[in-house]
Amino acid sequence: MTLVLPTASPRRKANFTAYELTVFGVVAALFLLALIGPMIAPADIYTSNMLETLFPPSAEHWLGTDDQGRDIFWRLIAGSQLSLFATVLVVILYSIIGMIVATLATVGPRWVDELLMRVTDIGLSLPGLVVSLGIATVLGPSLQSGIIALALTGWPMTARILRTTMRQTMEQPFVEGARILGVSRTRLMLKHVLPNSLDVLIVKWAGDISFTMLILAGLSFIGVGAQPPSPEWGAMISGARGNMSIAWWAVAAPGAAIVINAVAFALLADILQVRRDPSLRA
Amino acid sequence: MGVDTILTDGIIPAPVRRRPEALLQVEQLSIDIATRDANVRLVDNVSFGIGRGERVALVGESGSGKSVTAQALMRLNSRVKLSGRVNFDGKDLLSLSPSQMAAMRGQRMGMVFQDPMSSLDPLMTIGDQVAETLRIRGISKRNARQRALDVLDELKVERAAERLDSFPHEFSGGMRQRVVLAMALVGEPDLLIADEPTTALDVRVQERVLDLLDEISRRRSLAVLLITHDMGIVAGFADRVMVMYSGRIVEENEATLLFAEPQHPYTRGLLEAVPRADVTVDRLRSIPGAPPVPAARPSGCTFHPRCDRAMAICSSVEPGEAITPSGARVRCHLYGAG
Amino acid sequence: MAYLRLISQRLVMTVLTLWGLATLVFIMIKLIPGDEAQVAAGPGANPEQVASVAKRLGLDLPVLQQYLNFLLRMLRGDLGTSVVSSKPVLTELAAVLPSTIELMIFASIIGTLIAFPMALVAASYRGKAFDGIARIVAVTGGAMPAFWLALMLQFFFGNVWRITPISGQHSFGIASPNVTGMPTLDALLAGDIPAFLDALAYLILPAFVFAIPFAAQVFRLLRASLLGVLASDMMLPVRAKGASTSRMVLRHALPNSLLPTVSLMGVLVGGMVGGAILVETVFARRGVGSFLANSVALKDTYAVLGAVMFVGIAVCLVNLVADIITLMLDPRIRGTQFGAGAK
Repeated sequence: MTLVLPTASPRRKANFTAYELTVFGVVAALFLLALIGPMIAPADIYTSNMLETLFPPSAEHWLGTDDQGRDIFWRLIAGSQLSLFATVLVVILYSIIGMIVATLATVGPRWVDELLMRVTDIGLSLPGLVVSLGIATVLGPSLQSGIIALALTGWPMTARILRTTMRQTMEQPFVEGARILGVSRTRLMLKHVLPNSLDVLIVKWAGDISFTMLILAGLSFIGVGAQPPSPEWGAMISGARGNMSIAWWAVAAPGAAIVINAVAFALLADILQVRRDPSLRA
Repeated sequence: MGVDTILTDGIIPAPVRRRPEALLQVEQLSIDIATRDANVRLVDNVSFGIGRGERVALVGESGSGKSVTAQALMRLNSRVKLSGRVNFDGKDLLSLSPSQMAAMRGQRMGMVFQDPMSSLDPLMTIGDQVAETLRIRGISKRNARQRALDVLDELKVERAAERLDSFPHEFSGGMRQRVVLAMALVGEPDLLIADEPTTALDVRVQERVLDLLDEISRRRSLAVLLITHDMGIVAGFADRVMVMYSGRIVEENEATLLFAEPQHPYTRGLLEAVPRADVTVDRLRSIPGAPPVPAARPSGCTFHPRCDRAMAICSSVEPGEAITPSGARVRCHLYGAG
Repeated sequence: MAYLRLISQRLVMTVLTLWGLATLVFIMIKLIPGDEAQVAAGPGANPEQVASVAKRLGLDLPVLQQYLNFLLRMLRGDLGTSVVSSKPVLTELAAVLPSTIELMIFASIIGTLIAFPMALVAASYRGKAFDGIARIVAVTGGAMPAFWLALMLQFFFGNVWRITPISGQHSFGIASPNVTGMPTLDALLAGDIPAFLDALAYLILPAFVFAIPFAAQVFRLLRASLLGVLASDMMLPVRAKGASTSRMVLRHALPNSLLPTVSLMGVLVGGMVGGAILVETVFARRGVGSFLANSVALKDTYAVLGAVMFVGIAVCLVNLVADIITLMLDPRIRGTQFGAGAK
């Protein structure tokens, strides 16, 4: 998988500032790291080495070792795939649910629209983390449960935004034109309205990844998400917590990794948002 | 050069006319805006004056630069770059510090804007909004409120005393425009800039507001710069008219003379677009085409693509300023005769 | 009467939301793997106990009947019984709720005190250095995992620098008599200033953990909203009156930005209840969050779902209150209620 950056198009290249290019570069690097992380990490990060437990950062172990004597730096690298890809998966899953709900609400009869939007409103006003915690508890603690729980609670905002946009797209002349040409309703939705409404989601995705990463790590920390000895970052913090007074770096490092990712995606979201709506520019 | 016309090129100021004591003197004012790609000139080398108590109209289509000019006089828009001189009662406004400029606003010069619906703060009472100009100057709450009430009375707002504590949404469009006027007048300025003050209102309300403005301007000997696209409302109000096209003043004259003998083809076009009681026409004529965008002005005279009397020279040479026998300052090759 | 109609609309929406939540919780109970009666009675229950629980919960009835009974139980305030303590979940939660409320109120105050001045200055000096730095700080502050921030602050301020207490709610032996369940308020009621300061010291770090992401979000919305108002047509006349930038920001942009900001603050305070699960656990504070986390750890599923229901209700009520405050702030709606002014 390679990340296709907007910079790939030479037509628009000149329009990006150095700051924007830096943020794009960092996000691309994070994706790349998540992709190759488990491949480049040494094998011994999954096995205990009781002779080297809780070492402070050194030339050999850049971020020290954890209570099982495993190198924290390489566990972070290896875990970035779990943390980032699980987050992205959550966002993809609930975006799909959101798209289905929004499409049904747009094409369906009025009562379907009403019903789905009321359900969406209810979903929006429920505390996501708490409901996810409930779902994950019922499903049994694991990273999969965490992913499913967040996918089931994350979709309402996407559905709401997308439905509004799709309604607006439906009123545009080209859709009217296609309808006159006899394009079927389903085809019209899937081929024209949905693709033309998606750009609002692209901006949202970057922010969603940032936010979802924090919640997913939180679920792992409480113990309903990824379980030790997984190098998922939330689980790493949870595991290192007990020894914080003697090895605080084992808690600090995975948290910093989460912050770096979350900040990078939040900045990306900010850039995309300003590009869509230049009135927000500083 | 023709015997009956005098050609000037804009750098030489127009001959001083019998005119009231000058209050505002604008010299070579240019307004630029920096966009992502380039610098765009919105208003190019505009010079004019307004005397004390004089009523001047600045007329043009939307996009001609008239509103930008109006805002520039009060330095309201901080995104544009201003050059030239704006002398107000002996002070060059463009060289004042921001706080000195703020002190001029409201007190020496007031401004009224197009849309009374969006010109008012929905969360502040009418009384507080009108009194704000005075409160900024440290006038006591009580006195400011009394003076706000006086201005609203002067503007014939019914039951003004009760309505001081109402919010804008409780007022009709015409009443809101009076409130907006009151906000501009309460500081007793010498100059009122009215940017399309009646455009958003229906015709009958329009007339009432203009009559009020007329009355107050005479009573207070208040100078008014009326910005509008509608020649129809200019006739009964202005002493002098300036016609703006694509960032330049293309014609200026006493109102009666301008209406009687419009010189520039553009002015004629604008006048022909106005329904008149004394002339029967089959249909309202409007000028074909649209005004150019500032970033892509035509060469030569910027009006030539739409002009029914365009000549060969018009597309290549920019006309200078000429003064015609009727006293008009005009920028058109028909009169330049160069 | 637009005002009353809007409020009743919000009320109906709240009731619908709670019904949706109750349904969700019921479905979750039905989805729990294994025998429901066994789960409800606890892993150590003997067959008679399981049978009595099954009878009490009406598990032999049709699902629809069970669902209706469940909704009726919720209406009566019966959120189920904890397997671990054998006490009603509601009783346990009611005992720890004030402590969570205390934390949330304190955190909102700190967050507001950080966010508002920052946003006001940033909007006044748009594009300047302070604005840029504040935006980056806000993005970073909003992108920190709460539990990690809690651990780090606790470690450095409590363990290393010893500025604040590490965990708990008050020092040993100086707790005031429990009246409200909020240690700071109890101390004040008892007139015990040292105990109040002591409780405050315990409160400060957890409150900051909530306040930082809260402030980050409020800052971003308030700044954007202030800039939106400042760029609107409404501001030109104000500028033309000779108003200074600070007057434009404080007297006009701020009141007009308050409506969306208060709505957001309501949502964020509601979200804090969720965050409390993580933060109260780290700081070993009594509260709804630590109750939930403990129940998860003890695999007390009924208690977890009861608490989820409880927190959902709390969040809905906070949102409802925020909505009503927003409505009351707007004279366009308030005016029609009191019939002020002319038509």
